[in-house]
Amino acid sequence: MEKKKRNLILSVVSILVLIGFIIWAEECTKAFGVYNQRIFKTCCIYAICALSMNMVNGYTGLFSLGQPGFMAIGAYVTAFLTVTPSDKIAIYKIVPISEGLANLNAPFFIALIIGGLVAAFFAFLIGFPVLSLKGDYLAIATLGFSEIIRIFITNAQGLTNGPTGINRIPNDFMNLYVLCGILALVVIFILSMMKTSYGRALLAIREDEVAAQAMGINLFKHKMLAFIISGFLAGIGGGLLASLVGAIDPNQFKFTVAYDILLMVVLGGQGSVSGCIAGAFIVRIALEKLRFLDEPINFGIFEYPGIGGMRMVVFSILLMLVIIKWRKGIFGNEEFSWDKVFNFFSKFKKAPKKEVEK
Amino acid sequence: MAAILETRDVVIRFGGLVAVNLLNIEVEKGEIISIIGPNGAGKTTAFNLITGVYKPTEGVILFDGERISGKRPDEIAKIGIARTFQNIRLFKSLTVLENVLIATHLNIKSNLFSSVLKTPKARKEEKEMVEYAEFLLKETGLLHLKDEKAENLPYGLQRRLEIARALATKPKILLLDEPAAGMNPKESDDLTEFIKNIRDKFNLTILLIEHHMQLVMSISDRIYVLEYGITIAKGKPQEIQENPAVIKAYLGEENDDLC
Repeated sequence: MEKKKRNLILSVVSILVLIGFIIWAEECTKAFGVYNQRIFKTCCIYAICALSMNMVNGYTGLFSLGQPGFMAIGAYVTAFLTVTPSDKIAIYKIVPISEGLANLNAPFFIALIIGGLVAAFFAFLIGFPVLSLKGDYLAIATLGFSEIIRIFITNAQGLTNGPTGINRIPNDFMNLYVLCGILALVVIFILSMMKTSYGRALLAIREDEVAAQAMGINLFKHKMLAFIISGFLAGIGGGLLASLVGAIDPNQFKFTVAYDILLMVVLGGQGSVSGCIAGAFIVRIALEKLRFLDEPINFGIFEYPGIGGMRMVVFSILLMLVIIKWRKGIFGNEEFSWDKVFNFFSKFKKAPKKEVEK
Repeated sequence: MAAILETRDVVIRFGGLVAVNLLNIEVEKGEIISIIGPNGAGKTTAFNLITGVYKPTEGVILFDGERISGKRPDEIAKIGIARTFQNIRLFKSLTVLENVLIATHLNIKSNLFSSVLKTPKARKEEKEMVEYAEFLLKETGLLHLKDEKAENLPYGLQRRLEIARALATKPKILLLDEPAAGMNPKESDDLTEFIKNIRDKFNLTILLIEHHMQLVMSISDRIYVLEYGITIAKGKPQEIQENPAVIKAYLGEENDDLC
């Protein structure tokens, strides 16, 4: 019981510290830096995308790479609904936009949710043919659908402005409060969902499909459930990304985005919310903070000339080292807990203790 | 008395191989029926047919007079047929309690949103599910291990957990696929008691695949003997033991090693 109390106090304190940090980062722009603020915001958005992928890949045990497609849908819907009608008419130069479409407009949060819902609807449609596939085949099929969506967007000029994309997307709400708030909502939703019977059913499918079905779990229905939720979250992530960047075009949603997100999920730990968030933050921050490797550095004795792309080399080596050390990702498929932190540190002090607590 | 489970001339072919040929099993309510036969005789295939993993090439399977062949495994589980697996298939990285809870999911009434929002109704249902799962764990003697991961249980207890999990679907018929595999004589004696016990307590009908002859002979009301997919004998344990075809095909002729 004492441990429980200790953990509760620690959780409350660290949440307060975190909130304090977010307020500081948002309000004291000068001290924290616009650049760092921007990295923090991107991290939040990618964390949502990583959690979206985790829903399918981590919890349900399917291997889906459809994220870029769903993000693109969310991004385009949000962008389309938030750009003002007069701006839209100005942007759509090659194929002018029809007046009815130009006048479609919605406040940011409603647009964001509509974006998520449309992405979820497409997940539902795509789910019918692909969810009976297994393993790598599902990955290839979802990747294919994701590319179809991108190519459709490229060519539907009257609707999406084609390869030029949409810009002048308002970013009024892109502060850390909104982004961290949405991330927190997503985390709360996922954590409470995984505690329900439906969450357990998804885990059962991951553990053993045959046994899960023999225990009366309708595989298709539950896989579809995970897929739709994942599509919704990816749509939200895409919408936020569109709003943060301010301009989108189809090339931002190439299939390589799926690998970036997969990297975050695998690095953090498939099936762990803490892992996905950690993975998203580590990958985004590392990619930005290693930029100095591309620049020339003077060591005094000799001068490093600065090789373009060097940061990617170093980043990849670091990644490999991390994955060799933690085969199942940093968190495995378990969540963060204070007991684990204490166990980890007690290893250094005394004889190693076995991890029993969850 | 009408049969609760009946297979009528069930045939399944995999390409040119006839794995099960003209299977006619009739199970009456409350019986313990064993299916025995040499390896590769089609016993597990018969189970897979009954539980919907395979669809019969010919013939029908009836449960309570209703046709179940062609239905999906999860639908058949809902109708009231639960099973265990020859090579244990637990949800390994989940806890013992979660393993049993998952099997109560098929009767859930709350939808996802009321579960996530923890409405009073959903909360009550979840509580009932946990209570029932804990009751089953108590019955199977696993309650003290409920927070342990399933993969950390010793082999014998994993088998027991599989039975507890199957019971959580509230079945009418329980299909046990080699429950005594890998058990020592003491353990399999306990298992005999345990199976009889749960049959009485949960009002079950039990269909059993087993190689362990002592267990089969002491527990079964009737026995079916398969060889190469064909039913070569059926009857009471005594009759099976004396049946020359069975002795020749399965038990060996002179120097048989029964157990």
